[in-house]
Amino acid sequence: MKRIVVVAVVGGLLLGAGAVMADQKIAVEQDNLMRGQAKSMYNVIGKMVKGDIPYDQAAVDAAIADLEASVPKIPTVFATNPKEDVKDATYGSSPKIWKNKADFDSKVPPVSKAIADVKGKIKDLDGLKVAFKSINDRCTDCHEVYRVKLK
Amino acid sequence: MLRRILPLAGLGGLIGFGVYWWLTIPATVAASALPAYQPNLANGLTTFNAGGCSSCHAVPKQDDRTRLGGGLAIPSPFGTFYAPNISPDPNDGIGRWSEADFVTAVMKGTSPSGTHYFPAFPYTSYQHARVNDVRDLFAYLKTLPPVAGKVRDHDVPFPFDIRRNVGVWKFLFMDGKPFVADASRSAHWYRGAYLVNSLGHCAECHSPRNFLGGIVSSQRFAGCSNPEGEGWVPNITPRGLSDWSVKDVAYFLESGQTPDGDSAGGSMVGVIRNTSQLSSTDRDAIAEYIKSLPPVEGPPKPLKKEKQS
Repeated sequence: MKRIVVVAVVGGLLLGAGAVMADQKIAVEQDNLMRGQAKSMYNVIGKMVKGDIPYDQAAVDAAIADLEASVPKIPTVFATNPKEDVKDATYGSSPKIWKNKADFDSKVPPVSKAIADVKGKIKDLDGLKVAFKSINDRCTDCHEVYRVKLK
Repeated sequence: MLRRILPLAGLGGLIGFGVYWWLTIPATVAASALPAYQPNLANGLTTFNAGGCSSCHAVPKQDDRTRLGGGLAIPSPFGTFYAPNISPDPNDGIGRWSEADFVTAVMKGTSPSGTHYFPAFPYTSYQHARVNDVRDLFAYLKTLPPVAGKVRDHDVPFPFDIRRNVGVWKFLFMDGKPFVADASRSAHWYRGAYLVNSLGHCAECHSPRNFLGGIVSSQRFAGCSNPEGEGWVPNITPRGLSDWSVKDVAYFLESGQTPDGDSAGGSMVGVIRNTSQLSSTDRDAIAEYIKSLPPVEGPPKPLKKEKQS
């Protein structure tokens, strides 16, 4: 009997520790997904729109393709609440995501649609500016409610 | 002995109450204090955008920024406030208000029925607005569509629900001083200072507050934990924006894009919806002023963020 109790307690502790570690792992995975998209969206397209870097058709097409592939992963990657933020991160997830997961998920298809609407049609900087805004407004629809600034 | 003390105590109490009552009389602006004036609707729109009216008063979950039926819940440590209907609807909005009612509400924080508004309505900033900007705003609001529907009462527990006490709060935290130009600065800088400190009411969110809900003036603009509950409101003094140029700030106010490759989230999304409608001159002025602030260290962040559940 004693042995069973000990095993159960140790098992419980291990499970608990495992859960804590998993939390940070999930948080990092979610953060990485969003950071990857931010790279295409802001470090490539955003900087061209702002005029920091010159217009580059190949880079634009690659960024749009990356976003098209990456955005639909959001509902799955955010399936679990990590219940903690990535260490030293600037942004975190609001717990509201997992209180209203269906609403959170419903914000994603409009982003995909905005991407599909402009894919292959961006030919110059003016077109890119319009496309950037149409996609970014949909990103913001979700960030307004579900992203939390941590510092 | 007791016979002597009791009347004295009663008198003291009466005087105390008299002082309290006198101190907390809601201030108003008389119609006679407003000379004849031809309002400028274009400037009313600028005031509307600079003041961020629609961020709180627009009907939530729809895209029309000019449907000001209210209803947005604004959580705070003192309870939840519900933004009222300020559309021109005669029954549920401000359709029957006089211009003096409106100026009084915005600049004194007093309702047409003579009660104090809660300072969730940022009249501590709006008090510094120019009267004519507020009059233009009133004329502009009158052109917007009326929206029917009364908004529910605030959900504010005792003792904060005693509105008369807001008079004490105003005495402590509302200086009532007009906003004066700094002779050593340019008109452009002053325009920015004016927009930030009056209509823009930036300090209302970007400053820490004391236990009574008053802004800690030594840490104005230096950031704080989000009063709405989640996360952090950033320090916008040069201590927090050291990597940002004046141009970066102006571009952020136009596009929501940060220089480190991200975009605004949270309540700032709504603010960008307003500032993106301002003239680029106004945005540049705000940016110039913000970057000219003294760098101030904000309150410490909690070392380890408590677990979210």
